[in-house]
Amino acid sequence: MTAGVPAVMRRPAFVTAGLLSTVDHKDIGVLYVLLGLVFFVLGGLEALLIRIQLATPGAHILDPETYDQIFTMHGTTMIFLMAIPLLVGIANYMVPLMIGAEDVAFPRLNALSFWLTLFGGLLLYWSFLAGGAPDAGWFAYAPLTEPAHAIGSGIDYYIFGLAVSGAGTIIAAINFAVTILLMRCPGMSVGRMPQFVWMVLITSVLILGAYPMLTSDLVMLLVDRQLGGRFFDPSGGGNATLWQHLFWLFGHPEVYIVILPAFGMISEIVPVFSGKPLFGYAYMAASGVAIGFLSFGVYAHHMFAVGLGDAQNAFFSLTSMLIAVPTGVKVFNWLATMWRGHVRLEVPMLFALGFIATFVIGGLTGVSLAVVPIDLYVEDTQYLVGHFHYVLFGGTVMASFAGLYYWFPKVTGRLLDRQLGLAHFWLTLAGVTLAFLPLHWLGIQGMPRRVWTYPAGLGWEWSNLVSTIGAFVLAAGTIALLANLIRSLRTGESAGDDPWDGFTLEWTTSSPPPAHNFDRPPVVRGRRPLWDRKHPDRMDPA
Amino acid sequence: MTSSLEPIVVLSLLVGVIAALIFVGVIVALVLFAVRYRAGRGGSAQQIYGSQRLEIAWTAAPVIVLAVVFALSVVTLERIGRGATFGSLEPPLHVTVIGHQWWFEFRYPGGAVTANEAHIPIGVPIELELRSADVIHAFWVPELGPKKDMIPGQTNVLRLFTARPGIFGGACSEFCGVEHAWMRIQIVAESHRDFDQWLSSQAAARVAPSGPAADGEQVFLASVCVSCHAIRGTSASAAIGPDLTHVGSRATIAGGVLTNDTAAMRSWLADPQGYKPGSQMPRVSLSDAALDALVTYLEGLK
Amino acid sequence: MSADAGIAQRSFTHDRHLVGMALFIASESTFFLGIVVAYIVLRDQGMATAKTQLDVGRTAIFSLLLFSSSATMAVASARRDRLWLAATALLGAAFLTGQGLEYARLLRAGIRPGTELFGTAFFTLTGLHGLHVLVGLVLLGALFLAATLRPRRIGPVAWESIGLYWHFVDSVWLVVFTVVYLGTLVG
Repeated sequence: MTAGVPAVMRRPAFVTAGLLSTVDHKDIGVLYVLLGLVFFVLGGLEALLIRIQLATPGAHILDPETYDQIFTMHGTTMIFLMAIPLLVGIANYMVPLMIGAEDVAFPRLNALSFWLTLFGGLLLYWSFLAGGAPDAGWFAYAPLTEPAHAIGSGIDYYIFGLAVSGAGTIIAAINFAVTILLMRCPGMSVGRMPQFVWMVLITSVLILGAYPMLTSDLVMLLVDRQLGGRFFDPSGGGNATLWQHLFWLFGHPEVYIVILPAFGMISEIVPVFSGKPLFGYAYMAASGVAIGFLSFGVYAHHMFAVGLGDAQNAFFSLTSMLIAVPTGVKVFNWLATMWRGHVRLEVPMLFALGFIATFVIGGLTGVSLAVVPIDLYVEDTQYLVGHFHYVLFGGTVMASFAGLYYWFPKVTGRLLDRQLGLAHFWLTLAGVTLAFLPLHWLGIQGMPRRVWTYPAGLGWEWSNLVSTIGAFVLAAGTIALLANLIRSLRTGESAGDDPWDGFTLEWTTSSPPPAHNFDRPPVVRGRRPLWDRKHPDRMDPA
Repeated sequence: MTSSLEPIVVLSLLVGVIAALIFVGVIVALVLFAVRYRAGRGGSAQQIYGSQRLEIAWTAAPVIVLAVVFALSVVTLERIGRGATFGSLEPPLHVTVIGHQWWFEFRYPGGAVTANEAHIPIGVPIELELRSADVIHAFWVPELGPKKDMIPGQTNVLRLFTARPGIFGGACSEFCGVEHAWMRIQIVAESHRDFDQWLSSQAAARVAPSGPAADGEQVFLASVCVSCHAIRGTSASAAIGPDLTHVGSRATIAGGVLTNDTAAMRSWLADPQGYKPGSQMPRVSLSDAALDALVTYLEGLK
Repeated sequence: MSADAGIAQRSFTHDRHLVGMALFIASESTFFLGIVVAYIVLRDQGMATAKTQLDVGRTAIFSLLLFSSSATMAVASARRDRLWLAATALLGAAFLTGQGLEYARLLRAGIRPGTELFGTAFFTLTGLHGLHVLVGLVLLGALFLAATLRPRRIGPVAWESIGLYWHFVDSVWLVVFTVVYLGTLVG
């Protein structure tokens, strides 16, 4: 039964001319999401290896060199090859539909951006076969990465893998920005476009400002490694912290790049499943813009222990606390959206609620890290690992799951199975708690991060064991998701155009949409065109 | 102040309570709304678009709370930051700490040089001058509070303090390569008298060995050991690896991977890579007799 | 059918190719910003070598050639004139030749990216700029060819967007020349 299966998956053979040459944003969106899911599994296997090694003190399951490669690849994979492709994929599929457009502004560049991302990922993973993967952590601090201290070519694969996939991401950002700015359907002013589209626009601007910072860092590291340069080598007159400044000017906006689209998805899902409009639309847009701006101004909170100076530390502490304000505004508005609503606890909504709960924990520990004296204690410990996994897994990944369950019916014409979805949800919530909550306690007890093992007798054993169990619970949840995806593609319940009683344009066309998306380009008069159509007596105010 | 950790604990508890209250509030609202406003009977919800007053309220309230937290943060930093006295009238003790892959070098005024284990007097602010010989490391002893990076080409200053004696474990806290995990620190805080005794004995050259230990010294001087390790009082003066002049006095060896006793020292010397794979310490092939003598010698270097 | 139906296609703020090029230039500017910041941070270390080795005067002349090429490009774009386009490419090529001569001189003096900090920073910053000029020359060449072989398919937007890129490359050189060369006069 081929109806309902995405066009790209209906081709007779897996790799065919059609797959290689498609420039349709829907196909490319699906390709990106598949890429993200594959690397989610690879990154997850790396995580399981880490947790197996750390389950008991003094274990020798992985030797330290292998362990260092595994934790480096885990972080690099999850950020660059899982989170970004998943979000870019969902944006690719949904943004043109949500703004009533036929495709993105540059369809061929769109395809190029996908292939570059894939190729960059392959290049990075090739390193395992070519003498060893990079082993200096996902942020690869100099001078550990300099030729004097780095053995082998792993770091070179890191440089090229990230440069190539980063180029793909920059191209995608240009594409999204131009699409959103110039291709909205008649009547859709920026004040009427969906929140997800707002967040993708802000994210695209962030990508254009942040990724080139990483590229400049990578180029200079390459010069040091291959041409004998001295940018980051203090013994040659260079500056060891220069790498960190440029890296975090990329790295901090990067975490907002992976969370803003997540916020956008939650802002789509919570209103639909509360039967009410998003509370405070304008404030939600404005807070996204504020977060975007501030994200560049907080970067050196990753460097409080570097010794930049009291005034500098105070500045970044202040901005880091400030960025919590617009973030809090979003949480309060989501809650207010549910207030007095008609709340339907379908699977997308459960994941959205799970997101709010776990993201708030991650956000609060984030504020604690903005407090310099506290940071000087818990920085570079497992507390930090707990914090960012709460915001990245509880945040980005959970929101992406919510988006997958929400939009899978639109993409395939079928619903995902509810029972498997519930299992996936509860396993994820339990897994996140078991895997990452104990890490905060471990950090407070004094366990550093990026250690291949730890001494016995310090009281760190139980928390590590529980965390490892949690990692396996998350793995079980992932299996439930994959099983659900595969099964529902074939035998899922038929979804129809608008299975969730939605508000926005993507639900006005068929599931899956025709090649050109809309039979006639829509004209809108408000923020919720489908709500207006279904409730002409209670349309949104103009 | 009992230690440089104390102000951090106080601030953390306060921030923790505030965070917990916010978290509980959000969760209660979340669960309450999900249950109370569950769609059941027909009809649809009232379409509410927003409230400027609420937006102002939940923007202003966090700003106020954060302003208070920021102010407290600044106050706390004053008490443990640059030039902090921790309520002590004693002049600070200056110790230079140099990070190496994968061990800490401590250099005291008066010529004492030791590795990984450092003693400090109680009730005296300790000013550490932090440097690195290779990559970025970080110095952290949790029970003494804050950490600071050790960056090549730069000198960082960290002040620590404790009013009570004790043994405090710490660790390198910036990923610095393959044996980052076994770059542990041991700080022994003791009375002035005990500290002065320790310092003067650490500053002295080694006591000339006799008996089997003397054979051990010959083994040491004839082997590759001298290309990395110094033992003051002998001709060995290389500074690539830890200074071993008083290695017998330390509680642990090899960055904390083993407790320091005869059996452990022997095992370490026989197979360093087995305990700390990737470390710079090579396997030295010695006969059993030579190894025994060497171990006796090293353990005797108190 | 899209939102810009009825709105002037060639208006700067409404044409997707121009907006796309502008955004690309914005991101490349950020990239150069990173390298320039690195150069400035490390400037003092290499200042002695920079002062003695760099030929400010000669490079200033070649820089003028590059800046004039922006003017010729503006004329070429406004008139869609291939002769002015060729003049732009020639001036750009002359600039690259000047860079080549400067590089040759420095290499003969034993200064390479690997020999000392000044070499590292200088060759990286100017080299990356030179690469962007080279790409620009390729774009100019492609535009010339297309305008010759398929003149009706090449609208004003193609000229304008490539012109934008060329102006960007010149602006970057303005910054680089100031920081690297003029910087030796004040540092």
